[in-house]
Amino acid sequence: MNIYFRGILVINPYNNLNEKLNIWVKDGLIAYIGKEEASIEQETETVLSDDLVCSPGFFDMHVHFREPGYEYKEDIESGANSAANGGFTGVLCMPNTNPPIDNPQVVEFIRNKAKNHLVDIEVSGTLTQGRHGKAISPMFELNEYGVRMFTDDGDCVMSSDVMRRAFEYAGTKDLLISQHCEDHSLTENFSANEGVISGKLGLKGYPHIAEEIIIDRDIKLADYCGNMKYHVSHISTKGAVNIIKEAKKRGQKITCEVTPHHFVLSDEVLTNYDTRHKMNPPLRTQDDIDALIEGLVDGTIDCIATDHAPHSLHEKHVEFDKAPNGIIGLETAVGLSLNYLVKSGNLTLELLVEKMSVNPRKILKLKEINFKVGEIANITIFNPYAKWTVDKSEFKSKSKNTPFHNFELTGKPVYVINNNKIHKCQL
Amino acid sequence: MSDQLLSHPYLHTADDLSYEDIQLVFSKAQYFLENYKPGVKFDDLKGMTIALAFFENSTRTRLSFELAAKRLSGEVFSFAAAQSSLAKGESLIDTFRTIEAMTVHMYVIRHGSSGVPRFLQNNSNSIIINAGDGKHEHPTQSLLDAFTLQKYFGKVKDLKVCIVGDILHSRVARSNVTMLNTLGAEVGVLAPGTLLPFGWQTWKVKPMATIEEAIEWSDVILMLRLQRERMESGLLPSNREFSNYYGVDLKRFNSKPNLVLLHPGPVNFGVELDYEISALPNVLIETQVTHGVFIRMALLSLLSKFVKI
Repeated sequence: MNIYFRGILVINPYNNLNEKLNIWVKDGLIAYIGKEEASIEQETETVLSDDLVCSPGFFDMHVHFREPGYEYKEDIESGANSAANGGFTGVLCMPNTNPPIDNPQVVEFIRNKAKNHLVDIEVSGTLTQGRHGKAISPMFELNEYGVRMFTDDGDCVMSSDVMRRAFEYAGTKDLLISQHCEDHSLTENFSANEGVISGKLGLKGYPHIAEEIIIDRDIKLADYCGNMKYHVSHISTKGAVNIIKEAKKRGQKITCEVTPHHFVLSDEVLTNYDTRHKMNPPLRTQDDIDALIEGLVDGTIDCIATDHAPHSLHEKHVEFDKAPNGIIGLETAVGLSLNYLVKSGNLTLELLVEKMSVNPRKILKLKEINFKVGEIANITIFNPYAKWTVDKSEFKSKSKNTPFHNFELTGKPVYVINNNKIHKCQL
Repeated sequence: MSDQLLSHPYLHTADDLSYEDIQLVFSKAQYFLENYKPGVKFDDLKGMTIALAFFENSTRTRLSFELAAKRLSGEVFSFAAAQSSLAKGESLIDTFRTIEAMTVHMYVIRHGSSGVPRFLQNNSNSIIINAGDGKHEHPTQSLLDAFTLQKYFGKVKDLKVCIVGDILHSRVARSNVTMLNTLGAEVGVLAPGTLLPFGWQTWKVKPMATIEEAIEWSDVILMLRLQRERMESGLLPSNREFSNYYGVDLKRFNSKPNLVLLHPGPVNFGVELDYEISALPNVLIETQVTHGVFIRMALLSLLSKFVKI
């Protein structure tokens, strides 16, 4: 299908574009971009685009697609459909599958399943073999098979020595190491952020320092090993923002991400013991939310990632302390970001595009998306003004564990275009 | 009085009860206390089925509720987790739905996980009474504690009550802090730092430094049970050290005439209390148990007014 957007606001930091243009996508390529009217062919749908924004395709660098091993929660097909419906043209899968992604066979298995899809599915590998935190994984070989980042996400590498060796080894080929920062000795059996709320509700707490101690340690290790590259997953605390800000000032090669749920919700929502508010890291306080938004604004936080973590209803519909951690996020991320960051006046549309497309692609060394005639069209179209009510029954994800059902938002994804495919988002 | 209703058709936390609600429960409990005789039954719960769903072990609370419901002519059945399909891996919510399918009007729930009464209430229109959930709340215990003080002192307002021991893990402490404050008492707390919950400074309580200071300040010491697991989890160096610095023995108890002592039971004698003080007249542990039945009769009776048969 060919499509022509007339008078659309095109924002592409790669090409320094931020203006109203006409753009024609034909056979998966950009056939025209400019101020003049294009001479389009007949089999082209024309979209009057007054309220729409055209951006390089959004990329979510933190998703759990659960395949292989937990296909009842999500699989690559349903995960990719969910990503497209949420406005993303690319994702990075986390390696805590079963078996975990610590060898080329699993990488190939996933790549094979991911073929012929609108959404580009990139793969991360484990940092240690079997995610056991003991011996580093075969990073060179995995990298040859296209693995772009190494993490034991879901668990933290607790041994400082193993982490040091990982930095040294990955540094040989300038590979990217990432960490789920959690000092497990401080968080055993946690259910919530440690604070006034957890004390009142009788829930075992996860103190914010458990996150910060590891970030602090890893930054020191990365520096010690020769300023190695380091990406911090899903930061959630004010302290984390401050530590990373200081490290960046000193010139360390550190990047980080934040999830929408961590800049939208605080632990105040836990009083109903609804397990859709249970995740790792846990929801923090309003003070942390303010610091995270400030971190997005001042550039401390590079990107927005969802930590899309599907769980089936029967797993989540249990006692709070027994429920698994995690919520889905792909189909609410764009709406939440537009509502709570852009509409609220904190981020410009251009900065949002940086956080959701340009920066994650840079961090993962993915190729630039140029809006020029003849280039592959990798595009997210969104409407920052559309008002809508989140309805989880519209989601393409297999799982429905979202705390945002019935939220009223301003701003939503409208189309995604990639790999010669177009999807109209249905939300 | 008989037409007055509680603020909520359930009881999950001490916060659910206003000052007026508590007075209503007290006067109803007083009525039952005065009018109950062996062989006499009240018909407040006639035609109603009450499920006692205890997913965690309990002696006094379960017996107390069972007796209370039976004295009000309710049909009572008990559910013990160990002999149920939970042991076969059935989930809590499915077990609950199975019980609910048998037409039950009120549930008394005890569970080891915080928040379970609220979780079940979110999935049910029945009346759910919290008989202790994890480390969260145990509101009927705080009702009977306050009632015991009301009976003994004639009022709870302005009493100085110090809660001593494992406040971190105590649902009794959380409910009592709320309810004693609702009733206008002053509440103190005494515990080593490892047994205080994060953020306790935001609670309406006065911290005490030593057991001597606590006794000096208090009209009432509410001693909590120290569970043996606490030593294993590294929160305390030893029983002996806790006993030395926080326990109440005869000498400490006698250091203040008229000091009253409460304990929710079961007591770890030799750890938090000395056995020899248990029979002293100002030690009201058994009175608490006796009052527990009348308080639960009152609560069941008042909540039954929300039942539609």
